[in-house]
Formats: sequence, C-alpha cells, structure tokens
Amino acid sequence: MSTKPFKGVGERLPLVDGVEKVTGRAKYTADLFPADALVGKILRSPVPHAELLEVDVSAARRLPGVVAVVTGEDCDVPYGILPIAQNEFPLARGKVRYFGEPVAAVAAVDAQTAEQALKLIRLHVRELPIIENAAQARAPGAALLHENKPGNIEREVHNEFGNAAEGFAAAHLIREQTYHTAEVTHAQMEPHAAMASYDVSRDHLTLHTVSMVPYYVHLRVAQCLGMDTSRVRVIKPYVGGGFGSRVETLNFEIIVSLLARASGGTVRMQLTREESILTHRGRPESDTRMKLGMTRDGRITACECEVVQRGGAYGGYGIITILYAGALINGLYDVPAVKYDGYRVYANTPPCGAMRGHGTVNTRIAFESLMTAMALELGLDPIEVRRRNLLSCPTETINGLRVESYGLPECLDKVEAASGWRERRGRMPKWKGLGMACSHFVSGSAKPVHFTGQPHATVVLKLDFDGGITILTGAADVGQGCTTIVAQVVVEVLGVDWRRVRVISNDSAVTPKDNGSYSSRVTFMVGNACLDAANKLKQALVESAARRLEVAPEQVECLGESFQVANDPSRSIGFGDATAEALVNSGTLHFKGTFTCPVEFQGGKHRGGAVGSTMGFSYAAQAVEVSVDPVTGRISVDKVWAALDCGFAINPLSVEGQVQGAVWMGMGQGLCEQTRYENGKHAAANFLDYAFPTIAESPPIDVFIVESIDPNGPFGAKEASEGPLSGFPAALADAVREATGLELHDFPLTPERIAGALEAREREQRAAQRKPGKAARQPATEGAA
Amino acid sequence: MQALTILKPDSVTQAIALHGAGEGARYLAGGTDLVPNLRRNIQKAHTLIDVSGLAELREIRAESQSLRIGAGVKLEALCKSEAVRCQAPLLAQAAAQVAGPTHRAAGTLGGNLMQDTRCYFYNQSDWWRTANEYCMKCEGDTCRVAPKSDRCYACYSGDLAPALLVLGAEVDIAGPTGNRREPLAALFADDGMRHLRLAPGDLLVSVEVPLQSGWMAGYEKIRVRGAIDFPLAGIAVALKREGDRVTDLRVACTGVNSYPGLVPGLDALAGKAPDDAFFSALDKAVRKEIQPMESTLTAAGYRRRVAGGLAKRLVERLYETAR
Repeated sequence: MSTKPFKGVGERLPLVDGVEKVTGRAKYTADLFPADALVGKILRSPVPHAELLEVDVSAARRLPGVVAVVTGEDCDVPYGILPIAQNEFPLARGKVRYFGEPVAAVAAVDAQTAEQALKLIRLHVRELPIIENAAQARAPGAALLHENKPGNIEREVHNEFGNAAEGFAAAHLIREQTYHTAEVTHAQMEPHAAMASYDVSRDHLTLHTVSMVPYYVHLRVAQCLGMDTSRVRVIKPYVGGGFGSRVETLNFEIIVSLLARASGGTVRMQLTREESILTHRGRPESDTRMKLGMTRDGRITACECEVVQRGGAYGGYGIITILYAGALINGLYDVPAVKYDGYRVYANTPPCGAMRGHGTVNTRIAFESLMTAMALELGLDPIEVRRRNLLSCPTETINGLRVESYGLPECLDKVEAASGWRERRGRMPKWKGLGMACSHFVSGSAKPVHFTGQPHATVVLKLDFDGGITILTGAADVGQGCTTIVAQVVVEVLGVDWRRVRVISNDSAVTPKDNGSYSSRVTFMVGNACLDAANKLKQALVESAARRLEVAPEQVECLGESFQVANDPSRSIGFGDATAEALVNSGTLHFKGTFTCPVEFQGGKHRGGAVGSTMGFSYAAQAVEVSVDPVTGRISVDKVWAALDCGFAINPLSVEGQVQGAVWMGMGQGLCEQTRYENGKHAAANFLDYAFPTIAESPPIDVFIVESIDPNGPFGAKEASEGPLSGFPAALADAVREATGLELHDFPLTPERIAGALEAREREQRAAQRKPGKAARQPATEGAA
Repeated sequence: MQALTILKPDSVTQAIALHGAGEGARYLAGGTDLVPNLRRNIQKAHTLIDVSGLAELREIRAESQSLRIGAGVKLEALCKSEAVRCQAPLLAQAAAQVAGPTHRAAGTLGGNLMQDTRCYFYNQSDWWRTANEYCMKCEGDTCRVAPKSDRCYACYSGDLAPALLVLGAEVDIAGPTGNRREPLAALFADDGMRHLRLAPGDLLVSVEVPLQSGWMAGYEKIRVRGAIDFPLAGIAVALKREGDRVTDLRVACTGVNSYPGLVPGLDALAGKAPDDAFFSALDKAVRKEIQPMESTLTAAGYRRRVAGGLAKRLVERLYETAR
C-alpha cells in the first residue's frame, strides 16, 4: 500500500487512451459497423444554385436491394446550431444552394447497389445565378439565396466601444489596410462517418457518430425526426480530429437517422474525403479592413475594423462567427476605442462553421500585421510596441470581457530570448527573416449556445463495491486529450493510483449531458466540474474512514490509497475498506460535480455581448524564422518559437502537442491552404488539390509554457489549443517582409504570390531606372502578376 | 470500382500472350497510378496482368558501357541501389523525389515512366466529373483547359523521364509483334490522351542508361508539398564543363507538357561561357519548349516562369560543382 498520494496534475503523462490509438485497437465509428448493416449513400447536388423542380426516386426505389430512399419530402424541420438561425434542411427542399448539398439518400444491401440507386435518381432543376463571393452577394440586385435575407446578409454587426474618432484624433500615425484571407477547411484525419439503428417495436433510435457535440446532435436529430429526446441515444466512439469540423449537427447525421427509421434497421454511412470536405464548416473567406491609430511611442489609440465573411449557403454558426471577429479585437492588448462593422454574407458555397480559433483568426492576422507595419514605420521594435500596449490585470475590457490572468508579458519575454530576437531581427542574411505576432482565445464561452439554466458542465463519479472510480462524462475527446485531463484532475484530488480510475464518456444513455468540445471549454469547465465531484467523493471517503478509525473526519489524512489518523501511521485503513464503509446502508455512490460561469463573466450588455466572453483567456506569442527562395517564391519555415500562457499545464506534454498542432494549423493557413471554387463548384475537394503542409514543410517548434495560474481555472488552468493558432500567419508575413521587403496582405502566402510580387517589384525597379524619379518610391505590393 | 480478374504470368512472353487474350487488359506493377484511376473510374480494365512478380523485370545489371534496369524495379530500390547511385546518381536523385516513401516502396521505374497524364478536370471522383460534364480525356468531348482545342492538354508528371532523357537512356519494349529498342524520347507523344507510343500488349521491359564520363547532372522540381506532390514543373540538366565553358548541355522537362521532353536548340550554347547571354538563351529555349496549361490549380504562368528559373539555377550549380 502506497503511503504517499499519487500525483495527478502537472505531470508529463502520455494520453490515457494513447496506447489504444497508436496500436490500432481504438475503435472509430466506421470500425464499429456490423457487416450486415445497410449501406447509406447520399446523392449530392451537381449544381451550386437551382430550384429543385423534381427529385424522381421511383427507379431507385424499384432497384432490387434498395431498402429505403429519402428526400427533402421526408423532413420539413429545419436545423442549425443556433436556435435563432435554423434554415438548413438535412436534404434540400425547394432549392439547392451549394455544390454537393444533399438532395436524396438511399439505404441498400451493399455499397454497389446503393451507388447504382443514386445513379437512377433523376433531378429536374432550374438553375439560378451563382453567387460565388461576398462582393457578388452584396451587389445591388443580386439573386437572393434566402427570401427572408435581404442583401444576402445573415447578420450585420455595428459596435463602437470607447470613442474611435477621438482616439484617431489623438494618434500620430493612422494607417488602414485590407487583408484578404482565403477560406480554409479542417482536413481532419478521420472522414465523417455515422451509424444509426432504429428499433421499430420501441420507436428508439441509437446513433453512433463522429461528433464533437453529441448533445447538440441528440437535440437536432430528435427535432428533425419528430422524436421525443428520450427515445434517442447518441454515442460518440473514438474520433480522429475535430478542429470545428463536427461542432454542430451535420446533415449526414440526420440523414442516416432518417434512413434507419425508413428502413427499420441499421444503416452505416461513411463519407468519402470529398464528401467530408464538401460538408465543410471551415473558416470563411474574409476581407478585413483594419485601421489603427498609434501615438509616436507606439500606443494604440483606436481601432476601426470592417469584416466581411463569405459564410456559405446556410446560417450555421454565422452569427457567432461574425460577432467573434469583432469581440476579440479586445482582450489581448489595451485598445481604448474600437469601432467594428461586421457582415456575414450568404453565397453558393458550403456552409462555414466554428473552425479552430472561431471567428478570431482572420481579424488577428489583420491586426497583428498592421500593428507591426506601423511599429516599423515609427522605428519601433515589434515586440517593444506590444509591450507598450499590454493590459493591466485584472481588468474588464471596453466591451465587457473580464481578464483575470495575463501571461502575455512573459510569453513575449520567452519568445524574444529564445529566438535571439534582439541580436538577429533586422540583421538576418539575405532572403531570410524573423517575424513575430501574438494571439489569444477564450477558455470556454461563458454563455452556452443553448440557454437552459443548467450548469455549464456536469460530471459524475461512480464509486462501487469494486473500489473502482468511474468518471462519467459527456466531454467529447476528439483527440485533444480531455479524457486524460479529467482523469488527471480526479487522481490529483484523491491521490489514488491511476489504475483505480477509468473514464466512460459520450453515451447519452450512461453519461451526463455535456455541451461538447467547442470554444475550448472542456479543460476549464469540465475540469472544474471534475474538481467539484472529486472533492465530494474525497469528503465521503474521509468521513467513512473516520467512522472505521473511530476519529473525527478532521483527524483523517487522505493519502490516496489509504487513510490514516493524522500523525499516527499505525492507525490507517486502505482505500477498499474506506469504500466498503462508505457503501454501508447506501450502496453504489454517485458524486455529481458541476460548474457554472457566474453571470458577471458573461459579457457586455450590448446585443451579442456574450460572444467572446469567458472566464479566462489563453495568451500566446510566437516568433517564426523563414527562408524565401527567390526563384520559386517558396517559403521554408525554418524554426518556430511559441510561448503559451495556459494558466497551468495540467499535462505539459499534452499542452506542447496542442501548441505545436495549433502553430502547424496556422502555418497551413499562412502558407498554402485554400479551398477553390470554379463556377461555384469546389475544385479542391480532395487531398491532391487541397494542400496542407506535410512533414517536409514542418519546422521544429519550441514550445514554452507560461503559467499565470488563473484564479478560476482548475488548478489555475486555461485553454491550450486555439490561442496559439492565429498568431502564425501574421508572424510569417512579418518574417517574409524581412526576408524579401514585401508587404503582403493576401493569404495564403503561396509561392505563386511571392514570386509574382517579386517579379512585379523587379518590373517597377526596371521602370524606375528608365524613368528616374518615378514609380519605385511606392512600396511593392503583391499580386500584380 | 468494378470487379477485376487478376492474372499472374510467369514470364514476359506469357504476360504478353495473356494481354492479347483478354478484352480490356492492363499490366499491373506497383499500382500506385493505375489503381486510384480505376477506383475513380477514369481508367477501365476487366483484367489486370500482374507483372510485379517477374524476376526479369526486377534486375539492375551493370554492363561495361551501360546500366540496364528492369522496368519492374521499385523506386525505393532505385534510390538505394549501389550501382545506380554510383553510375547514374541522377536517377537515384529523381527517384527520391517521387511522391512519398510508401509510394516509392510500391511504385516502379516502368510505372513512373508510363504513368497517365494528369489534369484537375480528370483526376477527380466520378460524381465530380459528372457534375462538371466530363472532359475530352474521359467521357467528354471538350478539353476543359483549352475548350477551343481539338486535343487534350493533360500534363505528364513523371519525375524519372527527364532524368533518363538527359542521360540518353533507351528503352526495351516487348510486344505481340516482337521486341524493339528505341530512344526513350520516342516512347512519348504530345497528346494528353495518347501520350505513349505503345501498341496494344506492348510491355516496357527495361531501360538502358549509357555510362558516359565527364557529365554533371541534377534534377529539381517544384511542388506544393515537399513530402508528396507531383511536379508542377521539373527540370533535369546534364552538362560538361571545360575550363570556363560549358562544352555540352542537355536539359529536359516534366510537368509542363503532355510529354517529357528534351529542350531543343541548346547546341548553340555548347562551348560558351555561362554568362548573361548564355542564360538568356537558355531561358528562351526552355520557355519555347514548354507549354504548361491550367491543368493544375497552380497557375500555368507561374509554372512556366519557374521552369526557366530552375533550369538556370541547376546549370549554375552543376557548372560550379564541375570545377
């Protein structure tokens, strides 16, 4: 028997489910398909915008082996993540609005029959004008995607906090620049998959799916099928990556359920990579017009920002995304006045969603880029100018965001020292550069998507005759490691041996409801709920041990695997005996822990003020070193130094992994990732054409963990996986500026763009030589070629 | 993907006989090009004749004046072969730049040389191509990158061909009407749909690389992702230097036409010093030879410009190394 409590947090522990994953024993959704399940397949719209005149499925129905066919006729209940913006049907009704939108689906005895059946479905459509981008959507007289959305606008946001005009009047330098950022998609490793079983006799539906938010899927599936939620069960097996791709109910989850009910059996559905990309919910293409005012010594006096997002064909998370894009201008630096205008626009492209760094990334790229450009114009160092704009902590920002812990200053110090910034910045060899930027993100949205009055997180610990502690949680581990985190919290509080603890997650029939893995809420909220439950369990065990030891509870010392009378090691009992005593007269024990964000953290009073509100922001700074090939325009990222204030690292190994992943994803957006549409049709819905960096492009990433010990986080912890993403593209552009002298505003910074800008500059210089005194004085700009 | 019959012949002769006997037969070696295309339904076959087990295709033999390499030699083996690394290092260098390690472990010399031409209107799913009304190369009648043209501009994207072209390689082809040897360049035609001059049943047996002393050679490609992609443009260069002059120069391209080709018109540069005029002429010659079309999402203009830049850089580097 160990006489010392086991340590749970702060340890570099491999993920508790890591061995299963790397050995291939972990079962993902498609691994669970029974061989005799029907195969479900979806017919998708071959056109981006059309009136749906007829969906003739008669021949498909007649094909032997086809068990069920469903169309838009089979579900007239719209769905969407936001109760106020549900305008999408699982199968199109009346109109199709993007290339690849589901129109019909079949369940058949095998894949070949299902594919054959899809080919027998006849679509009669009347094509409508295609809205490819936000400018077309907003043009006068543009065709409307939704009759009730004039101007194709889903939501406009107009806010002003502080007095921007006064701020600009006080500025010594005012600059304005528009930044274009391409749409990106998640490229999560596991393509979408789901399996639905319908029990005809009991009218029950069981759905296995790849979701990050099984609770919301549960609600929407029940809603669309017109079933009572009590007759639906949602199970999330292992999931291979989320990044926001599955952070809302997706059409295939409802479709497979409709098929299961229509066929009265079990239907499996595995989407191809192409279908997974077309399901999308990625980061919208954005135009961000950023205007900043700065004093001579680098203090920001005001910010004016206009964001236009091409949100795709349906509402989705759009309202939240456009609000986030403005709200998180604040919370990183002390910005005394912000005027924000946001436009979320409809277009005939797949709906965007809450991709990692939700709404904040493209605004951060613009802000950081312009801040650095202005610092340089004023002869100030980019790191120094950030130091001059730090927040004082604790504070409440002008738009009502609370900052209770703030490790950004230390992040800057770490990155500055590690990258050799002072010695090297500005002195890099030809075609090499060093750049930096900062970023932040919420540790859970302080107000959930659905207001229910329930706690923000609930966890149950079960203690039974076997002495095992079972953590029952609905928190969705999608690879980010939250199953490990909840186990660590419980072990830390109780001091028990790891092997005594197991985590059961994500089966709505077994585990308590959890809002899901979005807005980086799980470590903070579920971690706190776990802490609460574990303390209750500990208290119960201490009390039962006290009864056995015949002392007062205050005299009992918990040593994890044993309990002893304080200062008297001769009088102790083991965990099993304490458990047995605790179960006398009560039987199996359940300890429920909850966590609720107090209302004062739930944001400003203005419309949409809850978006961006959180109990703790993570803070990040990163420096990026690059080489640029002047012939090909190709950027090599040679090294990255990233510092993250995650409050407290419950698992430093996992935090490092999250930071590296975030930096890497930011690198993809900065270097090469972009969706492409030709005539409204996705031209890169595969991994041949949708290019993200490979290991050959991946630099060494040195991670520095800063621990500001947040007063409200579990053990002081905050989020660790979204904050470090959005600094990368601006840091990259800053490094490329030093390497090439180019000011680039159009992302990603592809070799084509770099080479084009270099060539344009050469042309300008040659022209200037021919005509002295003209041209070349203008700074080089991109894209002319 | 439709059901297939897979046959395993014991010899080249039997393979050719089996090919002649079945309708819609294709030779299968590594399958890294053919199988994805069959799955996407852009290539059709009823029968696959698996030649991967034929020992006569898998031999690397050093002869007195040449290196003879079986068409079935895996790319990975090319990279590792001592004989290739010593006597034709350029080939090992080019092979190492094909796709990723798993592809190289499966793909072969012959498969890489004879891989299908590529285009983003072509290398797509059946559903995508249906929705985009197909293209000339498969089930349609218009070349989508050059709608007014009466030919297909799908792009040749093999990495080994330019290397072998500048090395002056020849190929041995066996077929129902007999065996023949011809220069590698004769295998290719400027046509995205019929880029190989092969008769039905013809089987590439081996490649013969002449051993010539005094040459410096290199291969460079641009691609989006360093760990995997096809060349957006690839350039192989072989040159000889004497004193301050380039006495012999060969340049070949891939990824920029429907065929891999030697850049013509470089004879005039032989014996010249690599000065500005030299490079200007080289650039002109390369640009004249290549005609990248919008067959990739990377713009043709960029590929064209960079091909010239790569050629110059390679010549400079090889010239310096030859000192």
